[in-house]
Amino acid sequence: MAMVDPDFQRQALQHLDALYNFAMYLTKRPPDADDLVQETYLRAFRFSHRFQPGTHLRAWLFQILRNTFLTFYRVRERETAVAEDGVPDWDPPMFHDAPEDDGPTLEAHTDLERAMRRLPEEFRTVLLLAEVEGLPLEEVARVMVCPVGTVKSRIFRAKERLRGLLRDYETK
Amino acid sequence: MSERFDDTSDEMLGRRLHAELHRHAAPARLRVSIVEAATPRSRRPMWLMPMLSAAATAMVLVLAVMPVLPRIVPADPVQRYVRAVVSEHSRAIMWGARHGEVLPTALPWLTQESGISLNRVFVGDERLEFVAAEPVYLERQRGVAIHYKDTDGHMISYVALPAAGLTVPDRERVQIERWRPALVRDSGFASWVWKQGDVGCFLVSDMVSSDDVERFKEYFVRIRVATEPVPAY
Repeated sequence: MAMVDPDFQRQALQHLDALYNFAMYLTKRPPDADDLVQETYLRAFRFSHRFQPGTHLRAWLFQILRNTFLTFYRVRERETAVAEDGVPDWDPPMFHDAPEDDGPTLEAHTDLERAMRRLPEEFRTVLLLAEVEGLPLEEVARVMVCPVGTVKSRIFRAKERLRGLLRDYETK
Repeated sequence: MSERFDDTSDEMLGRRLHAELHRHAAPARLRVSIVEAATPRSRRPMWLMPMLSAAATAMVLVLAVMPVLPRIVPADPVQRYVRAVVSEHSRAIMWGARHGEVLPTALPWLTQESGISLNRVFVGDERLEFVAAEPVYLERQRGVAIHYKDTDGHMISYVALPAAGLTVPDRERVQIERWRPALVRDSGFASWVWKQGDVGCFLVSDMVSSDDVERFKEYFVRIRVATEPVPAY
């Protein structure tokens, strides 16, 4: 790999924890999150010349991470019906939904966390970026490559689904 | 259930997500491995190019006696590991395992001798027959080697070694189901290289043709799914 601008590297690594947290909620397994984050940074460093200074570096990194996740970690076939805002009614099969044959998965600490894990990826992502990381809706839209209106709709539907799951836990 | 969910407003739910959702901090070693992977090996000084040209000329002369020169140790750590693993594999083909132990009976002994604990281990199936398991010492590390033979007579060696700082090369990675091991070739052998936590894993065979590699991918999946090595100490 060519020499990476040390300033760019330092700035990018400031977001390591946020990216790792995002990767953990996407992959649900520490080794996969490690791989995903490492690959994200290698890609970011390789294509650092494409980053436009002055734009939101964090959003750019989140976008690379999510694209990498979708490209390499998700099963390609999307057999589920897709709704108007592009979110399937349930999560398509993912690598971590396979039988527990690949080491321990992450333990959920709270019902909230458990409920988050059960959301489809698009819902989980939009909540993590907008509510947990506090990205502006325009940046979330850029990460998810969709209009801001779609982001708002997904946030609304995601919270609706999350509320339902939390109520289920409460009644159990 | 650890808590009640009382307030159902969008705003409150957003605040709860921000405040209560567990945040996972990146392990320190991840930062180190990212920085290492991003750092070029070394920068060549300006005077090096003429020197290299002269050396290259000399090398042409040396080529005449190349067969008797000692093998050059690769600078790339992954290549070094793969070369060591391939040597071990070649030795096992020619001389057989030093200790032909039976799995899973030998697991406690293997763990003690190799420093690698196999929480789960692939013991063979209708395509891959287990041959032997033994502790190995490669690249100044204790590890474990497990040898299998397929129905066509190909020997396949699985080797697990502690390799916390090892970075699987991105360029050679191949998507196989949900994994992306790297396919590294050395001395006429092919090796899958991947990491499970801090353990570097290698699967070596002489299956190098395009058809063979497809079969080798299947073998990788069988072993990857069923084997879980972790450092024992």
